[in-house]
Amino acid sequence: MSISKLLVANRGEIAARVLRTAKARGVATAVLRHASEQQGPAHLIADEVVTIEGPTPVAAYLDIPQIVEVAQKIGADAVHPGYGFLSENAAFVAALEEAGVTFVGPTSEVIDLMGDKVRARAFVEEHGFPVAPSAIEDDDPASFVERSRAVGYPLLIKPSAGGGGKGMRVVREDKALESEIETARREGERYFGDGRLFVERYIERPRHIEVQVMGDGQGNVVHFWERECSIQRRFQKIIEETPSPALSPEQRQEICDTAAGIARAVNYRGAGTVEFIYAQDGAFYFLEMNTRLQVEHPVTEMVTGFDLVAEQLRIAAGEGLSAVQDDIRQTGHSIELRICAEDATEDFRPAIGDILLLDEPEGEGVRVDSGILDGGKVTTDFDPMLSKLIVYGPDRAEAIARARHAVQNYVVLGVTTNTGYLDAILAHPDFASGDVSTGFLAEQAETLTASGEDVNDLLMAVAALSDERLVAEVMQIPEVHRRIGGWRN
Amino acid sequence: MRRIFQIADNEAECWLTHDGRSFILNTPDNALSCQLDPSGRPGGYVLKARRGVHELRLAVGPEATFVHMNGRTFEVGRVDPAERLAGRDGATGDDRLLAPMPGVVVSVAVKPGDVVTEGQPLLVIESMKLETTLTAPRDGVIAEMPFAEGDSFGLKDVLAQLAPEEE
Repeated sequence: MSISKLLVANRGEIAARVLRTAKARGVATAVLRHASEQQGPAHLIADEVVTIEGPTPVAAYLDIPQIVEVAQKIGADAVHPGYGFLSENAAFVAALEEAGVTFVGPTSEVIDLMGDKVRARAFVEEHGFPVAPSAIEDDDPASFVERSRAVGYPLLIKPSAGGGGKGMRVVREDKALESEIETARREGERYFGDGRLFVERYIERPRHIEVQVMGDGQGNVVHFWERECSIQRRFQKIIEETPSPALSPEQRQEICDTAAGIARAVNYRGAGTVEFIYAQDGAFYFLEMNTRLQVEHPVTEMVTGFDLVAEQLRIAAGEGLSAVQDDIRQTGHSIELRICAEDATEDFRPAIGDILLLDEPEGEGVRVDSGILDGGKVTTDFDPMLSKLIVYGPDRAEAIARARHAVQNYVVLGVTTNTGYLDAILAHPDFASGDVSTGFLAEQAETLTASGEDVNDLLMAVAALSDERLVAEVMQIPEVHRRIGGWRN
Repeated sequence: MRRIFQIADNEAECWLTHDGRSFILNTPDNALSCQLDPSGRPGGYVLKARRGVHELRLAVGPEATFVHMNGRTFEVGRVDPAERLAGRDGATGDDRLLAPMPGVVVSVAVKPGDVVTEGQPLLVIESMKLETTLTAPRDGVIAEMPFAEGDSFGLKDVLAQLAPEEE
């Protein structure tokens, strides 16, 4: 069941990235494009571009019947979903299966299981892997206080019906437990009309560490080591790296073996990522499993030398993995920066505009997975991520130095981006020492958005001298007046 | 020739003149002799100013000039002096909450006549899959909420209008 024609049901940088590998493997390629969408790099790479329709561009990319129909019509024998959109949609997988088209990814059963956070957690726990200690009141209300005590301190009380942080209480001492439970219950009733609670261990200054896994669906599962993704804003990662500066070799082996074990337990097929919460004391707990290629997969490729999309396509074609575990080694260090159209000084407000000038960095150890073209338009139709800058260095210090040099030379003019903010993170001493947690960006918000050296007079000179009308007007003024400094109209 | 530029949150006024040998950028407390020449790269220029030579890239947008210099990117907003003056009578910029980006109204928290305090949430908008809460820029009374829940709006549309402040 080899793949002769691949439809990439995605857009932007990930569509371009998948298409490049597919083409290199001699596979015919097609990609989607909504009628209102700007031309992007993917449209230049694909052999075929198919226009899709929908009330909004996003709706079109989520339209299962339409995309299945496209795959059939153009004779694609496989569909790669990228990330986001339909990549973790079991109904999409089932619809493709029915149409006789191969889905590049896991089975719909595994997507369903891992997509349900409660079932996934129970599955992982049943198989003996670590989950954060917790107690659910509904399981047995009479023993809730006792079971909460057994979770250990500090712990976090949450309303079962809750969300958005409302009604959450951190408890650090046993003597406060019962009164805090009652307070949380009252808050839950007030905010959500539901006083039921659950309790979980509160992890202080946690890190987010995840492990790339891959399985052939025939029982063979390997891991491609970990990624550290603690640099997050609005709960979304913006800098990822591998190896994690937090792990000792033994911890690294343990967390990676755990991830592979979880993937093995579901007889995983394709590329997946097991995410963990990592506590300052070295304990780690299963958070969730993403059943797709991740945005940050390139850092893994940089340090292992494997093309993860090529592995995905091999597995989908029934050729199996190209490597066994012992072949997969981490060498050097890699960092990814997500270049986003947003204003870091205004609470990461998304920015729009025309890309008036684009000059992306290149050089030794520099990779750019870009979703934009010079002259393009950044709209509110899609996610603000424009591209990814990935660097490789023989060690972490060199990788940081290269990342700084590359991001400083990433020229995107016409729309506000976060390049300066990313550089400020890389320059921060706590980032350099690797001493970060998922709260880092919030804790350091002021330092990271501080304006640098004041060059306002130079900027005004540039703005004035590049204003053709202004320059023409100034030059028209008779010579005698020009000589008088401070002339004004 | 007067110009008003906005860099970060600061507005600054300047005059460009020429003394026969070079351009002079005059600000209320400084005069900078300066020259801008193409460097040959797309959008590439060399700025010669008193403090030295700066290689840069620039692009002139409809409302701002974008500059990449010394590894950083800057946005220099061009403020129309006439528009700024016009805004001073009647509604000042302070009275209006302008849409920071196009989007859709998710919810509206206040109605005309409501007394609000600075920082109080007025409405929630959604754009690029992100929800943003817009808050009152100052204490005051709501004069107008032009958009209802579910309405789409464009960049810089007025999303909320406060009654003018009484002196």
